[in-house]
Formats: sequence, C-alpha cells, structure tokens
Amino acid sequence: MAFDAARFVSQKIGELGQYADGNAIIATSGGVDSTTAAVLAKKALGRKLHCVFVDTGLLRKGEAETARKNFKKCGLDVKIVDASSRFLNGLKGVTNPERKRKIIGGLFIRIFEEEARRVQAKYLAQGTIAPDWIESGAGIRDNIKSHHNVGGLPKEMGLLLIEPMRDLYKDEVRLVAKELGIPSDVFSRQPFPGPGLAIRILGEVTKERVEIVREACAIVEEELEAAARKRKMALPWQYFAVLLPVKSVGVQGDVRAYGCTIAVRAVEAADGMTANYSAVPHGVLHKISLRITNAMKDKVNRVVFDVTNKPPATIEWE
Amino acid sequence: MRVPVIDLGSQWTHRIWRTLRDLECDSEIMPPDVPFAKIADADGLVLSGGAVRLAKGEDSKISKCHALLDEFKKPVMGVCAGQQFLALHFGGKVAPAKTPEFGNVGLEVVEANDLFAGMPKRFTVWASHNDEVKSAPGFELLASSSDCKWHAFKHRRLPIYGTLFHPEVVHTQHGAEIYGNFVRVCKR
Repeated sequence: MAFDAARFVSQKIGELGQYADGNAIIATSGGVDSTTAAVLAKKALGRKLHCVFVDTGLLRKGEAETARKNFKKCGLDVKIVDASSRFLNGLKGVTNPERKRKIIGGLFIRIFEEEARRVQAKYLAQGTIAPDWIESGAGIRDNIKSHHNVGGLPKEMGLLLIEPMRDLYKDEVRLVAKELGIPSDVFSRQPFPGPGLAIRILGEVTKERVEIVREACAIVEEELEAAARKRKMALPWQYFAVLLPVKSVGVQGDVRAYGCTIAVRAVEAADGMTANYSAVPHGVLHKISLRITNAMKDKVNRVVFDVTNKPPATIEWE
Repeated sequence: MRVPVIDLGSQWTHRIWRTLRDLECDSEIMPPDVPFAKIADADGLVLSGGAVRLAKGEDSKISKCHALLDEFKKPVMGVCAGQQFLALHFGGKVAPAKTPEFGNVGLEVVEANDLFAGMPKRFTVWASHNDEVKSAPGFELLASSSDCKWHAFKHRRLPIYGTLFHPEVVHTQHGAEIYGNFVRVCKR
C-alpha cells in the first residue's frame, strides 16, 4: 500500500498538539516543503505558530513576491525579514561549498533566534524532509552535503526543533500538500535549495555573480517551462543554471571576449535521491544558450549542458 | 510481517524502509550493533549499503553484524555493502571494482530464481559502488552486468540473498518487485 496522506495528516496534527504549550516559529521559504509544514503545523498550533520568511538576497528572480502571494493563497500570515546584506557579508571570500552551507545555516538560526525572542517562542518548526538529514550524514552515514536546516545548524541552538515531515520525500510531501488543500501551483513548484543561489555559484558569492546566475536561472526556467507548455518536452523535476568558476575565450562582433561559463542542469527524479539528466531537445538548449549569452554578453560567453546522473553527481553542484 | 533494516550507512537505507513500508511490512531502521534480542522475532532482515570500504578492511563499525548473522536463521537480503558483507561472512572475497558503476547499469539475470521471479531477463538497475564481490563460496550467481560478475547472488542452502545494485531506488526497474519477492520468501 502506498503512502496514505490523509492518515499522515490526521496523525501529525495529533502529535503536533503536544507543542501547544508554547509559541513556535516556523521557517517558511515559500517552497513546497516549508509551506506544507507551515500549513500542517498551523492546523495543530493555530495562533501560537509564527511564520518567518527570510530574504537572503540569494533568491531567484521575483521569488520574494511569489512567496508572498503563495503564503496568502495558503492562509499563512508571514513575517518577512530582509537579511540580504547579512548573508552577502557572511559569505565574503568563502569558496568552500560546505563552509558556505554552514555559514548560511548559522545565519538562518541567528535570525530565527531573534524572531523567536520577539514572539517568545520555545519551538522552531521546519519543513525538513528525508533527503535533508540523509545527505547531511551523521554517525555511520557519510556527509554528502550539509543541508542548511540540518547539518548547517549550530549545535548551541536555543530552540527545540519540530520536524513533522522528517520521514517524507518530495513526492510524498506533495501528496500531503494536496490533502491539506494547498493549491497545485504551490505544491508543484520545483525544489529550490535553502542556501539558494549561493550554491549555484561555484567560487565566491558576490553581488555581481548572484545577479548573473539569477538571470541565467530565470532564462532556463522560462525556456523550459515554455517548451513544456508547447509539449516539446515534459517539464523536468528540477531545472536551473550554475555559474562556473571557469573563464573561456570567445569572439563577439570581431572583438575578443573572455567571460564566464554557465552550466544548464535539468533532471528527472521522483524523490531526489536518484536522478537522470533530462533529454532537453537541442532546439530548446540552443534558445537558452542564445538568450543567456546575448542578455549577458559582457559576463557570459559560453553555455554548457550537464549530462551527469545522480549518482555519481548530485542534482545541485555544491 | 516484520522486516527491519540494518543500517550500514547508505544514502538509500531510508528508501529501503520506505519500500518495505509500501509493501505493508512492519519495518524499522536499526544500527549495525543492535542487540539480537531486538530482531529475534523478525521474519526477515535487510542489510543496507554503506560508505564502508570493505575491500580495504574497514569493517570495525559494522563487525557486530557477523554475530547477528550467525544467530538469525531467517531470510536475509544484503544490498551493495550489505551484499559484500554477506560474501565476506561466508568466506568470500571483496576487492575494489576494476570498473566501478555509478548510475544506470544493464543487468542480465543469468539464473532463473525466486528473487527475480516475474521479471525480464534483462533490465536497467542503478548501482553506486567502488568495491565488488570477487568470490562467494556457497553462493549461486543470479545476475551480472558487463562490468561486474557478482551483481546478485543467493546462498545454495540458506534463504540469503544479495544484490550489488540498489533495488530500493526509483530509477531501478522492478526494484519494488525484487523486495516484494524477498518479502514472499520471508513469508514462507
């Protein structure tokens, strides 16, 4: 018998009731997991639950606005915290992917602690799902990458963690979201990592490099979504751009160019624990390449397509 | 039907748990040093994969599983490092694979058997291994790939099975059916 979302929802609402002795804050990014966790927790905790959205400055184009609209659709009242300068400053000079993830996880917690003090919260609820703690590793399990909501958390955190969806994968979370009445355009969103664009920039995260990868991600999303609407291909499970720390020579209007490289990534998956690269039609790839290199001619003069599965790669590059 | 999963540290241990749960088994993830008393009443046992490099003699973290296997007389299935551990337990050899396999692998079933019952002779499975079984005394070869001989085996006398590939991941064709067939063995 497959996963029973209705049973899960009623069971978890019952279990979450035990945390009604104090206030709780929940970290909501506007993504599938945290939005579902927030709607679920709200059913059990009502007004004792306080939702917090952190604008890290590492979000996709228009993401803060989309998140705001989605919260409204789901009946969530969310406090928005603009922390973009804190994240950019914290990441200055950092190139190691694990260091990036730990710094970001640490900053998230500092902000949650500040918000928790404001509402005198005792608990921190999160939309952590199985791949987050699995890939973060512990004990006998190797650390693949420290997810910001698990391995990125500092040990001295002064809040008690509530994670009702720890045993679920994305496909199951979407069933729970549907069961909770969350609109399908919200629960069908593609995954987006908590550390945001910082882990789609290989090398140092600077404001300029965030803008490059943000624009490239927007182009990849627009073109693949348009291709899927025109039935040229199925919409991949996840699709985005990565800014590589590799420069190469080009020629633009008879002038030598020496610019950055963008990698396009698109994969098919069900739970994100294995993935195969999507067979994106050449015409669609061509259009993405043209748009990226024309729109950002001073920055990017080469686009490559990632043809690696997971394993041996992971879906994101860091 | 109670089929616990002994966690040797795989990325996909929890996927095994989910697959068994979907097959309506009562399953639970347990550490490799779990006392035998906690699994004594189980109907079967799965040993997950893991990051341990058994070919390099790295078995200190999971060595207590040897005693577990000695005591547990019911069906056992080992996956990846779990399969390699079974081979070593019965006196076989494990070594670094000449060609490691990450991602999709073409599997060929070489001997019709209960683990692959109802499946085609050739299908695609996903693997992720650095090491592989080189010899497995007492075991019968069930399936191979072009780069690896011992992709699946079955003990000649005991209800003990192993696969080097991972039937628990969604990209492996017929993966849930393989666990279904193992659960059927546990029901016997």
